[in-house]
Amino acid sequence: MAESTLRTEELTINMGPQHPSTHGVLRVELLTDGEIIKGAYPDIGYLHRCFEKHSETREYIQVIPFADRMDYLAAMNMELGYCLALEKLMDLEIPDRAQHLRVVVAELNRIASHLLAFGTYSIDLGAFTPFLYAFRDRERILNIFEEISGARLLYNYIRPGGVLNDFSKNIEEKISEFCKYFIPQLDEMNDLLSGNSIFVQRTCDIGVISKDMAVSYGLSGPNLRGSGIRWDLRKSQPYCGYEKYDFDVCVGEAEKGTLGDCWNRYYVRMKEMYQSVRIIEQALTQLEKGAHTARAPKTIKVEGEVYYHTECPRGALGYHLIGDGSKRPYRVKAKSPCFISISTLDEMCSGMMLADIVAYLGSIDIVLGEVDR
Amino acid sequence: MKSYFKNIFEAISTVSTGMKITMRTFLKTNGLLKKKLNGYDYGTGHVTISYPEVKDDLPLNSRNRLFNHVEGCISCNQCAVICPVDCIEIESRKKTDDEDSSAKTPPEFKSKPLKLKLLKFDIDEALCCFCGLCTEVCPTVCLVHTPEFEYSKYDRDKLNYDYLNFNDDNPFPKA
Repeated sequence: MAESTLRTEELTINMGPQHPSTHGVLRVELLTDGEIIKGAYPDIGYLHRCFEKHSETREYIQVIPFADRMDYLAAMNMELGYCLALEKLMDLEIPDRAQHLRVVVAELNRIASHLLAFGTYSIDLGAFTPFLYAFRDRERILNIFEEISGARLLYNYIRPGGVLNDFSKNIEEKISEFCKYFIPQLDEMNDLLSGNSIFVQRTCDIGVISKDMAVSYGLSGPNLRGSGIRWDLRKSQPYCGYEKYDFDVCVGEAEKGTLGDCWNRYYVRMKEMYQSVRIIEQALTQLEKGAHTARAPKTIKVEGEVYYHTECPRGALGYHLIGDGSKRPYRVKAKSPCFISISTLDEMCSGMMLADIVAYLGSIDIVLGEVDR
Repeated sequence: MKSYFKNIFEAISTVSTGMKITMRTFLKTNGLLKKKLNGYDYGTGHVTISYPEVKDDLPLNSRNRLFNHVEGCISCNQCAVICPVDCIEIESRKKTDDEDSSAKTPPEFKSKPLKLKLLKFDIDEALCCFCGLCTEVCPTVCLVHTPEFEYSKYDRDKLNYDYLNFNDDNPFPKA
């Protein structure tokens, strides 16, 4: 009797753009049926800063600060991709030392970025303590970066031909000291959260991206590897001398839950931090005396077209650069990994419980600055 | 039934693992625990500072507020050209006959000839993106980023610094 008279309807609710767990300014329109999500439509563009169009009115070197601001949590990796693309157009030979310096800063930034992902993910799921541990160690990396480049987040450090300035002996020591310090801390963080029963139950078997789906969407980075696909541009298409380093590509192995769920994506990031430390240690021992930058012309004028992609903390970031022989780029197009991750939202979240969308959003680790550009 | 109790046991044991780490960090931070446990150096002491009273030492090369030593500026306009956000405004004119055309910048600014008279050197710090490109191209190194970062103002116009008549409430630290 009661069933026939009770009117039910689907309810549309807004998540964001100020929601703390959307990691930036993402608005998701959720169509809900009680506690079940029927559809999730991401509304992006709140952080659109016209980076690509603006770059066309700037000289090549002036684009680097804009590239920084795309993924502000891994600015070194963003610059690196742009500079590598530009160098490929310029046919510039990079000195050995510069290559190693670039690898060190890129991997340090990867650790910083993954630490932030780890910390904010725990906060999204209601665990406050790991966040403090993650930020304590991220702070050390930022202090190192501040000493190297002068800035804490937006470095403008990697330049066409090499890097802005060389490491001092002091900084080399500081970085190797950090590596020694960091491994036990990482073990500790791992103990703190990875096995925690509450955390495991909120993340295991949630948002399972199958292998086929990951490939068909074109996911990359930890999100792809979390689904068990061994694909890392550092290994498969090495740049910057990554082929000289001995490291493993971390993939999800379903230690808990099913392959491709939130927990596995999270755990791939934890494992990657260990590998990054390994790479940094190797790069520091291989550092030899030499020039930190090649002789690059003061005003860069290039002609041609290039696509270059690098492995950033959030996936494969590609730059499509077209030069028309003038000192300004004709077109700078960035292919963002986060944009692809966010496009899985509707398919993955339909049928999910309302509380799980936060777990899913945190596990794909998006940065809206890069999505909107 | 068996799995019910197993679940409870698992929840308690895994949560207590985290609690143990928290407790050890707490004790270590407060100097109550000295030794290392399981090879971990639990806790690292206090990591925060009480900011306005205690200030962190920023490295000398940290990029914060710009400062131009106008006596060393040769009005070459390179900084204004390279600025990605066009926040530097420079005006200059040729020197007239009754002005000393053989003047040079002070030796700390590389003793370059001062051919032009600087009329205006404004930087809108509200626009500045702190990329550091302008300080790199400066031929006399008179335009520098300083470690000074506390310069917020109630009025946005006050962030437009006129370095030819520079006076600020806070005396500027020598860079």
